[in-house]
Amino acid sequence: MPVAASLTDGLREIVGADGVFSGPALAEYRLGPATPNAAVFPRDESEVSRLLRLAWEEGLGVVPWGSGGHQALGYPPSRYDLALNLGRLDRVLEYEPADMTATAQAGIRLADLQRHLEAGRQFLPLDPPLASQATLGGILGGNLSGPLRCRYGTARDLVLGIRVAHADGTITKGGAKVVKNVTGYDITKLYLGSHGTLGVILEATFRVYPRPAAEQAWWLSTPELEAAHALAVRILGSHLAPTRVEMLDDVAARACGSPVRGPGLFVSIAGVPEAIRAQANDLARMAGEFGSVTTEDASAPRTRTGLNDFPWLAPWRDGKGHGAIWRGGVLPADCFRAIRAIHDAAREHTEVAVTASVAHGILRGETRADTTEGVARGLAASREALAALGGFLVVLDAPAPVRAQVDVWGPPPDGLGLMQQLKAAFDAKGILNPGRFVGRI
Amino acid sequence: MNGGGLAPETRTHLIRGCERIVGPEGVISAPDERRVYECDALTFYHRVMPDLVVLPTSTQHVADVVRLCREAGVPFLPRGAGTGLSGGATPDAGGVMIVLTRMNRILDIDVASRTATVEAGFINLWLTNAVKRHGLFYAPDPASQQACSIGGNVAENAGGPHCLKYGVTTNHVLGAKVVLPDGEVLQLGGKIQDRPGYDLLGVFVGSEGTLGICTEVTVRLMPQPEAVKTLLAVFRTIEEASNAVSGIIARGIIPVAMEMLDREIIKAVEANVQAGYPLDAGAVLLIELDGPRAEIEAEAVGVEATCREYRCLELRVAKTEEERALLWKGRKEAAGSVGRITHHYYLQDAVVPRSKLPRVLREIEEIGGRHGLIIANVFHAGDGNVHPLICFDLTTPGDLDRAIAAGAEIMKRCIEAGGSVSGEHGIGHEKRDYLPLMYSPADLAAMQRVRAVFDPAGLCNPGKIFPADGPAGQGARNLQSPAMTAVSER
Repeated sequence: MPVAASLTDGLREIVGADGVFSGPALAEYRLGPATPNAAVFPRDESEVSRLLRLAWEEGLGVVPWGSGGHQALGYPPSRYDLALNLGRLDRVLEYEPADMTATAQAGIRLADLQRHLEAGRQFLPLDPPLASQATLGGILGGNLSGPLRCRYGTARDLVLGIRVAHADGTITKGGAKVVKNVTGYDITKLYLGSHGTLGVILEATFRVYPRPAAEQAWWLSTPELEAAHALAVRILGSHLAPTRVEMLDDVAARACGSPVRGPGLFVSIAGVPEAIRAQANDLARMAGEFGSVTTEDASAPRTRTGLNDFPWLAPWRDGKGHGAIWRGGVLPADCFRAIRAIHDAAREHTEVAVTASVAHGILRGETRADTTEGVARGLAASREALAALGGFLVVLDAPAPVRAQVDVWGPPPDGLGLMQQLKAAFDAKGILNPGRFVGRI
Repeated sequence: MNGGGLAPETRTHLIRGCERIVGPEGVISAPDERRVYECDALTFYHRVMPDLVVLPTSTQHVADVVRLCREAGVPFLPRGAGTGLSGGATPDAGGVMIVLTRMNRILDIDVASRTATVEAGFINLWLTNAVKRHGLFYAPDPASQQACSIGGNVAENAGGPHCLKYGVTTNHVLGAKVVLPDGEVLQLGGKIQDRPGYDLLGVFVGSEGTLGICTEVTVRLMPQPEAVKTLLAVFRTIEEASNAVSGIIARGIIPVAMEMLDREIIKAVEANVQAGYPLDAGAVLLIELDGPRAEIEAEAVGVEATCREYRCLELRVAKTEEERALLWKGRKEAAGSVGRITHHYYLQDAVVPRSKLPRVLREIEEIGGRHGLIIANVFHAGDGNVHPLICFDLTTPGDLDRAIAAGAEIMKRCIEAGGSVSGEHGIGHEKRDYLPLMYSPADLAAMQRVRAVFDPAGLCNPGKIFPADGPAGQGARNLQSPAMTAVSER
């Protein structure tokens, strides 16, 4: 659809002629069946504010955009006029190593931010999938995390303060730039994981951590998944302080580069070398108790990236066959039962690969089949299996025919009524990522 | 001050209704029995008796009482153990107080998933005691942990000395069952994490009882560390001690706690409990490390080197549990010892970036000097969370006004230094008029929108957090100078 000339003029007036994309360049902003009328690239927060003001007045659907790596998540927008690309808001605004805090704009890539923090021998301990391109705003909007949360928690534990542009262009802040603050509501938490439906994140202040002197990792292979789970529970309840404890079924273990066949754990420990050595001895002893074979991970950075990006780099995403990726949650104690139930449910015509961050009961997986119907059936059966354990499953990406058969978010969450009211209170006209989140918020 | 003066028939209706819900033994209506509830741990100011006190024993009770209040259009507020320091559990102008102390059961301990679920009135310290035998503990440890309730901790997003490494309450709460201001019961979060949807739990924690009443709380438990090491360093000046704090962090060491006591507190502590601090010292820094043994041994070497680098006069390392208790003794008795140096004090809770501590502490001293008041400091140095105790004597004319003025100046300076009004005590009634120092009208309006969604009728703990003339009004009355709230008796 051609952009109405008056709208283009209005957008250009705000962000300059080179800050508005239209025409074929919009293909990369396609979401399901919908393509926006324009993609805009504001240079600073006041331009974001003016763009939103314009969208608010005109009732335009706005999709905040970072690297786009996770935009497959959720329903397609119910109205999609503007892709609001925050890539030019990419600066580190404040960084004080002595305070272990940093403030950066939403469009900065995590990798660039990490390079900046390197100067203070610190880092932001977030390792979301596709971390090499992911932007801060996208990570916070999706509350994305990876295996490192075992030790450091999630964005919710790391973000101290936030600046947000609201649907009508008003800019507000929440939280503070200090590590401890109970002044007013902790409104920051509302924006994290809200998928851009309550406001556009402009910048965030977070707690950063000292980069450990060293890190070592091991594959602990077990004959059965059940033993891997029991070993993980043993490790997590012990005095060891691992940075990652990932459990992988045999397919996932193979995909992530385990040197030994079969299911097992990937465990990493960081700190001073003597402390790693001492813990490694304890780890090997515990592993022995569960009949596990311990192999040091020889290709450290590559393995970590592989683990983080599993299953986002699944082969079907390149058009090879049919599949879907998903995340799920169960009690930490139920991780084994959950994976076994998913395996049982998937037995007919589908193949699954699953990893679990055992400390928090977070599952990530891939479901493949010869047909999209098979994928949909496999997802539905897996969701049912997790629901039987009190858990849930969210489809992260799947081909359109699968989405037509499976609700990506699953049953409405408790408190949906309050969530809808919050959405109405923050975005009465429903212009921010409309229709994409749970309950079509 | 008595309650808001309900019409006699409304009062009778509420008493009968509450008695029907919780039984007559759970309703307190006689004025002399209600007096206990006219303030929280701010004993000195803004005393307002609730019109009625109800002690439910179940979530259903709470929901029924809330619905009764809602239908009668009468404000209500929750109260746990009443140890709060900002007047959050003191009625703004009467109404029904829902006291959760009888809801104090453990509902579930899940060792394999490392979680516990308890009722809101359960005491903080009981939790760690209850899970100790499983090798677990509950990390947030407010100073009042022997008395304060988990529900109150959730309301205030409570901190404590050991939050430097482990984080505050919000980092450890996985779920809460809450009674919303319209009486609906809703489970926020839970043992299973990362369910899709807005983080209602995240905004509920720290909302000071204004978004609803939590009746059950699910928390994360941590495995006990392999080893703990406690060191105490004595410094000539508070500046050198502050620099040592930054120096330790700069080495990439995050102790589990870094607590500082200044000269005035040292004097008070020594007069009271003889912790063995040198009286000529400018500051005492208590540092605790925990974790894998080999890790903390290496860290202790770094801590010692840093303290010597900043010319510490003396360094003690606890070798036994008894010695560790002795090193902590002075810190734990600090607030209780202040009576040795002053009749009354006004306690602050601001936070500054750690690197600004030396400057801000100097400014606090100057402010005290200018007002002719002694200001003592005992605080969470690692977090930059200062607790200046402004000493004054109520019987000296003008002293209280000077203390209040000094307190306001300190808060302002801390904000200017990039800090926050409150680190762990909450805003409550006391600091509500200072919120605009930190947040713009638009910032506050966004928070008020959240409040209006949860509590459209404005009956749930009204008059708290937001300035009395704030955007939504809430009908709060500015009964007294707000700064007076934080004045504590010795």
